[in-house]
Parts: sequence; structure tokens; C-alpha cells
Amino acid sequence: MGSLEEILTGFQVAISLEGIMFVLLGVFVGTFIGMLPGLGPITAIAIMIPITYGMDPALALVMMAGVYYGAVFGGSTSSILLNAPGISGTVASSFDGYPMAQNGQAGKALAIAAISSFIGGTISVVLLMAFAPMLSSVAVSFGPPAYFALMLLGLTAIASLSEGSTLKALISAVVGFMVATIGIDPQTGTARFDFGVPRLLDGIDFLVIALGLFAISEVGYLVINRFKASFASAKELGSLKLSKQDLKDISGPAGRQSILGFILGILPGAGATIASFIGYISEKRISKNPEKFGKGYIKGLAGPETANNAATSGSFVPLLSLGIPGSGTTAVMLGAFLVLGIQPGPMLMGDHPDVFWGVIASMYIGNIFLLVLNLPLIPYIARVLTTPRPLLISLVMMFSLIGVYSISFSTFDLYLLLGFGVLGFLMRMFAFPAPPFILAFILGGMMEQSFRQAMTSSQGNLSVFFTNNISLALIILSVLSFAFPIIQSMRQKKKQA
Amino acid sequence: MTRNVNRIIGLILALLATGYLLLSYQLPTYDYIPVDADVIPKALGWLLLILSVALFFSKDQDSEEQKAKRHVAKKDVKAMAGVFGITLIYIMLLEVVGFIVMTSIFVFFCSLFLGYRQHVVNAIVSISFPIFIYSIFVFLLNINLPQGILPL
Repeated sequence: MGSLEEILTGFQVAISLEGIMFVLLGVFVGTFIGMLPGLGPITAIAIMIPITYGMDPALALVMMAGVYYGAVFGGSTSSILLNAPGISGTVASSFDGYPMAQNGQAGKALAIAAISSFIGGTISVVLLMAFAPMLSSVAVSFGPPAYFALMLLGLTAIASLSEGSTLKALISAVVGFMVATIGIDPQTGTARFDFGVPRLLDGIDFLVIALGLFAISEVGYLVINRFKASFASAKELGSLKLSKQDLKDISGPAGRQSILGFILGILPGAGATIASFIGYISEKRISKNPEKFGKGYIKGLAGPETANNAATSGSFVPLLSLGIPGSGTTAVMLGAFLVLGIQPGPMLMGDHPDVFWGVIASMYIGNIFLLVLNLPLIPYIARVLTTPRPLLISLVMMFSLIGVYSISFSTFDLYLLLGFGVLGFLMRMFAFPAPPFILAFILGGMMEQSFRQAMTSSQGNLSVFFTNNISLALIILSVLSFAFPIIQSMRQKKKQA
Repeated sequence: MTRNVNRIIGLILALLATGYLLLSYQLPTYDYIPVDADVIPKALGWLLLILSVALFFSKDQDSEEQKAKRHVAKKDVKAMAGVFGITLIYIMLLEVVGFIVMTSIFVFFCSLFLGYRQHVVNAIVSISFPIFIYSIFVFLLNINLPQGILPL
């Protein structure tokens, strides 16, 4: 753990007047965007990036972290009220949350979600404070081979854990990596795949990819569902109050899933979605009344809600201490760090203690805000769900276009944005997952650099990746993570035969 | 039919990989650099080619829900093409006409085109949002957005 002085620096950032204001702004905007159908933390973070320009990096990142867990919180609201999760991380929350809402207990369901999120968020921040510095101190000794192997593991894990076909996820990752090779190669100065377009020499901005693949492609689906009834009124929420028995019911799942969710969040490729599903399944498995699950059972909502928030903090461990994101969302978060000139990684804690500890400290405050401010405001915030779809579509398009234009000042990038939007739509249509694409795009450049650094130090000998214990272990793990789904599908085929 | 989908996508990806490989092999290389700028692209190109062949011969594993997603009604395709077209016009005229005017027109007509009939609300939203955002960017963040024809 860092020195007490450094930790206090972080809290100073987080509880300064500005710090509190930006946390508040972050969680509020995050909740707002996360609640909108189809829009999740990736879109929310990407839209907010231009606004952080010129801001103090510590404050800006405190706000962005708030946007992230605020969006996870907001996503659960639309899961519960509409059975239309804003993001995949809150799908499991709708299993019991939506039935509760239909039984006239929407307010209660929202309160349970908020309290479980708060517990999951808070316990996992304590764990984050302990684990991130520990991992940082180990990672300081990592050389380029270990870094390359670590990123490889991140990519193979996200590909093998993606929904649907592993083959498609791999293709998605490879194409994302290919897009990352566009532009001037930083080591030799060779221009690659620029097609004579000067704008492409700098490479494609990650915001173009993030907003194209996630926000613009969602517009396509919003257009298809444009006549779908939106949320009628926020008046029928019912009471937000919980009884003592309710709180007692929450405590079990909240305690267990805080820890399990946190661990799953740290693992590369896992993240909030898998944590929330495992949270739901594991609670059902150990429950004395598994038949109650799926019919509006408190524990069935508290489990996944705790887990997805705990996983959100967990995913900050590799991001802050290794500088390597393990999921699509943290990949975009890494982009937000880089835009501000901050390179996360083992040196972050020592070089920028205000950022490192400020972001962590702000999560305590952010979680309290979500509970005491956003929860009572939910009936009002939920009005955003009554926004007519056509208007919503226009506004999402507008925010995406402005977001890209304000950082590049180039209409060429806007055409690219539209192009990646179409690509993202087609990818979803044909079940190619987008998170491996964005992760590979962001890791691609870093991976190539560390690969070449490692190879230069070994004078072109590939054995450098196998003589280093850490990189050898990581490479074996990546091969295993890749082999696992193949073996599993072979087993299933055998069973069927 | 489902097999055909994988075949077509596999073919497209194989073409993409081939094009990418052709360009990779044209990248200049220098002596004494163990791993030059062409190595990773070549590896990626070959990898995609192998994966696209695998996709070409693979069976479809999509769920029914996923297959249903592929059916887009004709009128929805038209609506999407419309939004695409309106956006293209927006991008082309943004720097000429200016941010506030063009964005207001964009939001108003895009919503109208998609069937929003509350014209007063539409007008209020499509004028106030761009002005609000323009103010934040220009006055608060010092990021200049195209002013265009408005004498601001």
C-alpha cells in the first residue's frame, strides 16, 4: 500500500469542493446516459471525453470514474423498469427486477438495486485500495516480454469469454488490431495503410471507434424499434422504502457477491457482465428456495446488482496498476487517461499519487452520492425514459458527432465515425462482438511496441518470451483460455453424439 | 441459408485479409532492425486469412434471437438510410453553415423524419440543445466550434 501521505493526497482531491462537484457531475451524467436504452458506460465515457480537455487530470479522471459506475447504476434502472437493459452488465438484474416492477414494487426494486450497488461498490473499493498498490509493486519489474504476454492474455480471454462464437470474437479482435496499425509506425516512421490520406497518418482516433461501434450502431437498432412504447410514466414506481426483513435478505448476497464480483472484475476479459450472471447463478445455487428466483425475489436482484458494481471497481485494478484494460469499457477508460496525458501502469502510483489515489478515494464518495442523491431522484431521472425515440435518436447522433468533431476538428473523422457506425451495426447483426474489437484496437499499438522492444533486446530471438517466467506463465494461460472453449464445445458435441 | 451467411462473410474477410497482406508486403523494410514495421501487419493478415477460411467452413452457432435480429423490415432499412443521408448532409455542410444552425436543422429534421409530430417541443429541443452545447464548448472549455453564418 502507498504511504499514508499519498493516500491522503488522494482524499484531498476527492473531498475538495471541485472534486465533489466533478464526482457528482460524473455519477449524474453516467446514470442519465446509462439509463437510456442501448447506451452504456462505453458511450457515456466516450461522450464525456471531449469535455475533460484542459481539465486537471486528477479531477477529470475522478469525474470519468463517476461516469463509469454511474452508468452501471443507471443501466440497472432501465433493466428493472423496462426489462430493456442499457448494457449487458445489468441483464441479470432484470431477471428478478422486472418481475418486481410488474408486481407494483418498482420503487422497492430500485432501492434494493441501489443499496446492493452501494455495498458492492464500497466493499470492492476497500479491496481495490489493497490490491492495486500490491499489483503495482509486482508489475514494476515487468519487462516488454511480460507486458506483451499480459496483453495477449487480455485479448484471448476477452475473445474466449465473449458471448457467442469464439471464432467471430477472434476475427473481431484481429480486425481491431489491423485498424490499430493504420498510421505512422512510431519506431521506424514508416507510414502504414494511410491510402495517401494525410488525416490517417496519425492513426484513427479511438473516440471514432468507440462512438461508432457502440453509440452510432445502437442508433440503427433504435431506428428499428422507434415505435416501441417507451416508459409511460414515472409516477407508478411505488414506495422506495425497505423493511428490516428486506435489508436482512440483501445482506447475504451483498456480502458474498462483493468479493466474488471484485475478483471476477480483476480477471482479464470477465468484467461486469460475467460477474452479474455468475452472481445470479451462484445465489440461486446456494439458495434454500431456488424456485423463487426469476419471479421477483429480492436475493435474485441483490446478487447480480452487487456483483456488477464490485466488478467495476475490480476492473480498475489491472487498469491502474498494469495500465492494461481487461474489458471494452476499461479500454475506453484507458483512452480517457491517455487523452489527459496520464499513462496508467506501475509507475502511476509514484508519479501521480493524486490521480491514483484520487480516483480510488472518489469512488467512496461517488457510491454515497449514488445512494443518497440519485436514489431519491430516480423518479425524476426516470423521466428521461419517456423521451420519444425519434428525439432520442437525433440527440444520440448529435452528441456522437460533436464528441468526435470537438477533438479532431475534422469532418473526415465524422465520415469515419459514420463508417464505423455502419460496421458496428453489421457486426451486431451477424453476431460479431464489439468489445474484443475495441480492446484489440487500444492494446494493438502497445502490444506491437512491447513485442518489438522485446525482440530488439533479444536480437530477434523469439525465445525471449519463454525464458522469462512471468511471460511464459502468461502465454500458457492465454493458450489455455483459448483452448478452453474449444474443448468445451468438443465435449458438448460428444454428449450430443 | 445460415451456412451461406458464414460463407459470404468468410469470403469478404478473406478478400480484406488479402488486400491487407498485399499492402503489408509493400511496406519498406530496413536492415538491422529485428522486427520491422511490416512484421505485425503480415502476421495479422495471415491470421485473418486463416480465421476467414475457418469461418467459411464453420457451422452457424447463432441463437434464434440472433437470427431474428438479421431480419430488418424494408421500411426500417429506409428509415436507417434516411438517418444516414441526413447525417451525411450534416457533415458536408457543418463547417460551411456553422454548428448551431446546422445542428438545429439536423435534430429537428431527423426527429421529424423518424415520425416525431410534436413540432413545438421538437423546435424547442433542437434549438436549445445546440445553443447550450455551443456555449459549454466555446465559453467554458475554450473549444471553438464552427461559427458559420451566425455573427456570434
